[in-house]
Amino acid sequence: MPVSHTNRRARGGRGGGASFASLGRALGYLGRQRRSALLAYGALFVASIAQLAVPQLTQNMINAVTSGAIANTILALPTFMQGVAATQTGKTLDQLRLDQANAEMLLINAALLIVAFAVMRGLFSFVQAYMAEKTSQGIAFDLRNEIFAKIQRLSFSYHDRNQTGQLMIRATDDVEKVRMFIAQGLVMVAQTIILLVCALVLLLTTNWQLTLVVLPILPIALILFMVFGSIAQPLFVQVQQRISTLNTILQESLAGIRVVKAFTREPYEQARFNRSADDLLTQQLKVTRTLSFLFPVVFLIAQVGQAAILYFGGKQIIEGTLLLGEYQKFSMYLMYVFFPIGLLGFIITMMAQAGASATRIFEILDAKSDVSDAPDAVNLPPIEGRVEFRNVTFRYFNSSDPVLDDVSFIAEPGQTVALLGATGSGKTTIINLIPRFYDPNAGTILIDGHDIRHVTLESLRSQIGIVLQETTLFSGTIRDNIAFGRPDASMDAIIAAAQAAAAHDFIMDFPQGYDTPVGERGTTLSGGQKQRIAIARALLLDPRLLILDDSTSSVDLVTEYRIQKALDRLMKGRTSFVIAQRISTVLNADQILVLDKGRIVARGKHEELMENSAIYAEIYHSQLVGDTELDAAEVELASAAQEA
Amino acid sequence: MFGGPGGGPRHLMQQDLSRPQNLGATLARFGHYFRPYLLALLIVLVLMIVQAWTQVVTPDLTGQAVDCFLFPSQGSTSCWYTTLPPDASLDAKIGGLAGLVGTLLLLYIGGAITSGLMFYAMSWAGQHALRKMRVDLFAHLHRLSLGFYAEREAGDLMSRITNDSEAIQQAFSNTLVEVLSSVLLLGWIVIKMLQTNLLYALLSIIVLPLMIAATVHFSGQARRAFRKSRQQMGSVNADLQESIAGVREAQAFSREEENIEQFRQTNAANRDAAVRAASFTSALNPTLEALGYLALGIVVVAGGLSVLRNEPLLGTSVISLGTVFAFMQYTQRFNQPIQRIAVMWTNVQNAIAGGERIFGLLDQQPDITDKPGALEMPPIQGRVEFTNVRAEYKPGEPVLCDINLTAEPGQTIAIVGPTGAGKTTIINLIPRFYDVTAGAVKIDGFDVRDVTAASLRSQIGIVLQDTFLFSDTVMNNIRYGRLDASDEEVIAAAKLVSADTFIERLPDGYQTVLGERGAGLSQGQRQLIAIARAALANPRILILDEATSSVDTRTERLIQKALEQLLRGRTSFVIAHRLSTIRNASQVLMLVDGEIVERGTHAELLARRGAYYNLYMSQFRREEAVETPSGNGKSAPVLQEAR
Repeated sequence: MPVSHTNRRARGGRGGGASFASLGRALGYLGRQRRSALLAYGALFVASIAQLAVPQLTQNMINAVTSGAIANTILALPTFMQGVAATQTGKTLDQLRLDQANAEMLLINAALLIVAFAVMRGLFSFVQAYMAEKTSQGIAFDLRNEIFAKIQRLSFSYHDRNQTGQLMIRATDDVEKVRMFIAQGLVMVAQTIILLVCALVLLLTTNWQLTLVVLPILPIALILFMVFGSIAQPLFVQVQQRISTLNTILQESLAGIRVVKAFTREPYEQARFNRSADDLLTQQLKVTRTLSFLFPVVFLIAQVGQAAILYFGGKQIIEGTLLLGEYQKFSMYLMYVFFPIGLLGFIITMMAQAGASATRIFEILDAKSDVSDAPDAVNLPPIEGRVEFRNVTFRYFNSSDPVLDDVSFIAEPGQTVALLGATGSGKTTIINLIPRFYDPNAGTILIDGHDIRHVTLESLRSQIGIVLQETTLFSGTIRDNIAFGRPDASMDAIIAAAQAAAAHDFIMDFPQGYDTPVGERGTTLSGGQKQRIAIARALLLDPRLLILDDSTSSVDLVTEYRIQKALDRLMKGRTSFVIAQRISTVLNADQILVLDKGRIVARGKHEELMENSAIYAEIYHSQLVGDTELDAAEVELASAAQEA
Repeated sequence: MFGGPGGGPRHLMQQDLSRPQNLGATLARFGHYFRPYLLALLIVLVLMIVQAWTQVVTPDLTGQAVDCFLFPSQGSTSCWYTTLPPDASLDAKIGGLAGLVGTLLLLYIGGAITSGLMFYAMSWAGQHALRKMRVDLFAHLHRLSLGFYAEREAGDLMSRITNDSEAIQQAFSNTLVEVLSSVLLLGWIVIKMLQTNLLYALLSIIVLPLMIAATVHFSGQARRAFRKSRQQMGSVNADLQESIAGVREAQAFSREEENIEQFRQTNAANRDAAVRAASFTSALNPTLEALGYLALGIVVVAGGLSVLRNEPLLGTSVISLGTVFAFMQYTQRFNQPIQRIAVMWTNVQNAIAGGERIFGLLDQQPDITDKPGALEMPPIQGRVEFTNVRAEYKPGEPVLCDINLTAEPGQTIAIVGPTGAGKTTIINLIPRFYDVTAGAVKIDGFDVRDVTAASLRSQIGIVLQDTFLFSDTVMNNIRYGRLDASDEEVIAAAKLVSADTFIERLPDGYQTVLGERGAGLSQGQRQLIAIARAALANPRILILDEATSSVDTRTERLIQKALEQLLRGRTSFVIAHRLSTIRNASQVLMLVDGEIVERGTHAELLARRGAYYNLYMSQFRREEAVETPSGNGKSAPVLQEAR
């Protein structure tokens, strides 16, 4: 496999504009959750409006009580004074009597109304919260699926550059941050706007003089929170970084506990950890200081507004130009103006984080795969097996030196081509180019005369079998893993392939046989067992073209013998490219390509090369491994010895 | 590998988002960590009381504005703020109102300052306590023996610790203050209400049991749903991890579409679990809010009717309009802390459960400790002696039986045998990673249990099979063997074991930063770094567990040479997989089922044609080919070796 380059790109750190644009793009996914999103925001609107009605309802209750009480007081006065008192309230005596009579009913009605309203509002808030969550989960679902699909299709060169962990973070943490923003931040934004606009309108219509008193506080609060938002955000980011440093130390120290203990490095590790814990503490206290200032100030501003209203409104009440109920209503509306402002700080922080995450997500989704089907790609007809490299040059993305330099050769159908050379000489690259895991920088690769760039990847790769020394098994049963390239294969075919790969016996030794779960959460197989599963996989595919690495993992003698036989069986009758480690492979090869620094320095059959290639002779003597040539009797003897 | 004694904490580890088990003890443990910050906590408490007071007194004052200035009523006792008669002039009333608002402003400012200080003081104490807890935990984890780690996945342990301290962190920074001050405020409001009017107070809190029931119900449901959702997220992660790591295979076999479909299903299950959890969390707040309005309605109707009819409700005195308004405010204020507590309740439970798990870890007794009065191990000569050693991980199931052996200074002891024979146990006993069940392990005549572990282990070098590298520079990874070594000494050690050639070819040479656990290096290169590390430590006793993973032939040669260098002049114990190592050993011990069945040199044992010979036949013969390549493609004759 190609060298995997460590990519230490710093996370985050992008211009704000780009990050908000990405966030906007992520919001475009709302369109796919149209139903739940509309429900969420519809319910939000109703719930917010309902919230705004609460002061009115409260005022109704207060009015019912006060007007009733006033009527009671006046009507309790001696009759001659009633007229004068009534004029003071601006009402006739008849009206007062009506007030008195209706007061109780009005009060009860108002109370019932407010409870009914609360239940309604509760219902809508529930629908809003639930649907917002549902929407956000739907978006996360879509984003994850897209990321996953993209990752599956991106070419090898992309994966060479990106680490698994990095890609995982994008599909998990980054998606979660965007989701959180959609579930909470966006709702807050909408709520803020609705409440702010409606409350201001209501305030102005209720009593514009009083509104003018509090209006100047708004821009001040807004600016203050913007400033704090921008101060707090980098602090939070730093805390996150330091937590992850601390976790890395813990992680390494636990994973490497044997080394730590073996070298008695506990004090050293402890010192490292303590330092990092102190760093974290310092940063957290810094954040705390900022927040300890920010949040009380938020409340104070709202409270100052309330106090101002109490004074100016109270003055109007005393002067008789404002009713108490109206005042109460006013001061409650005021809360609806200040409450959303208090959220702005959170919103800004959340938005910035989600923006950065969205940018990273779209980096993946927008990544161009170097290798993809040409627009006019045709299906590759069933392969005969003629492979031709014509002046192929290839370099990995970040290097100037070519790994393959003007390589040309032809493999005829059914031939075995052995590739020899030191590490980095280009063997792996050749076998990676045939299934078009990479595209060459120059030159052409032809299979049966078809340029592989002009056929579909699916039709090409499904006809090529690949067996490498290191095999990844996937979660699933052994059967699933053998049928990996042909999920519709029959059980008989699978067993036949396993038998040919000398895997059947050990599979049957498991209590669950072919249904034994393997992979991350299943039984662990040894290197030799995995290798035989991989051989079975390739046999089941029955490809015309085969790519393999003939080395065997460290296994015992008998197993090795069996694997070798299985490999020989596999190669029979197919065009095979073999990264050769075994002497028998080169002896049997129809063509040996000796590579050095990306060039073919010698080619031919074993006997010819032994005579005229010094470099071949050198490699032959120093690198190749002799076969385990046992006869049947010997295998039996060794098996018996093992069991003893 | 080892089924160590006492599976105690294992069941703790498997709990997730669970209800606290032993509340009192856990809280006491938390208390212990807060003891050094008692003063800060005291300040928090005082500030909390002050703040709760301002929060209670301000609505009272607002109520006074109504009772004293806006709607003063003759002869009412509800105005205590001023002696201003109800029929005072408008200007006097406005003046009085201004004074009251001024007082209110001061109280608000005071409240802001106290809450700021309180938040800071609490977080300060909390962060310090958490830091101490982290550091203690880290230290304790390093005191635990390898038996503890044999039972646990480091990754699992790790994620538990991270999640638990995250939960505690959250609780310490704001949840605790919020919950406590909410409780305080709640208590105060209740008292205040009771003082003002018992009957109305009872009316106001009549919905409280319903609120508590709703909170318990919904948060319980949510907790269960979240647990499910977390498991689903785990599957999503596992799926991602596997598919990304195996993406090359997937492409090679054109399996992309199947994988995408499979992921889609896992992903959908995760989404559904999360949405289900959301249905419970979404229901809690609206329910509490609606109940709050119910309380408001009840109070206003009862009070309003009483005022309107001017008749006492159930035998209490008639209340004033101002009192009714005050109760309206009380019920509204009352709701806020309840909602806050309800929302924070899950956090508190998580924190306590997290604390329990962390304390569970801290309570894990290290089974290997220095005994009182343990000696410092003097500089080791290198004589290692096992006398009648028996070792058991589970009582009654010996892994080693009656082992006797003596290694003279400078000797190399090769240990061979099938998997599970007890090879690893023997080498683990020498640096006292485990204790023997019977018998004794002595170094230069000192029983390893009589000397301090630090002085013993610092003189023993260990190269393990699974080479562990830190994500640091190559230089620092080698320096791990001896922290005070200079760069030159590190390079010299690397040269000694022929690791310098490949290191110099790395992009930044010795300063190349290795990826996660040494990513970017081949297996063989990592082994070479580990060998250099041991060479730098220059121990008198060396323990070596040879790697079985196959490396390319050239690297294999390098490693063999490096090991020869490393073993020279030291007493060495090697779990041997290399023929070269075994051939050079002073003594080969053939171990089967915890017993030494054969011992002697390689040649002697081969000649005996016993268990060792059979093992050699099946395991080592292939290496002959590496060592003596022959032109005819056949491996070198085995029996030559036996001569």
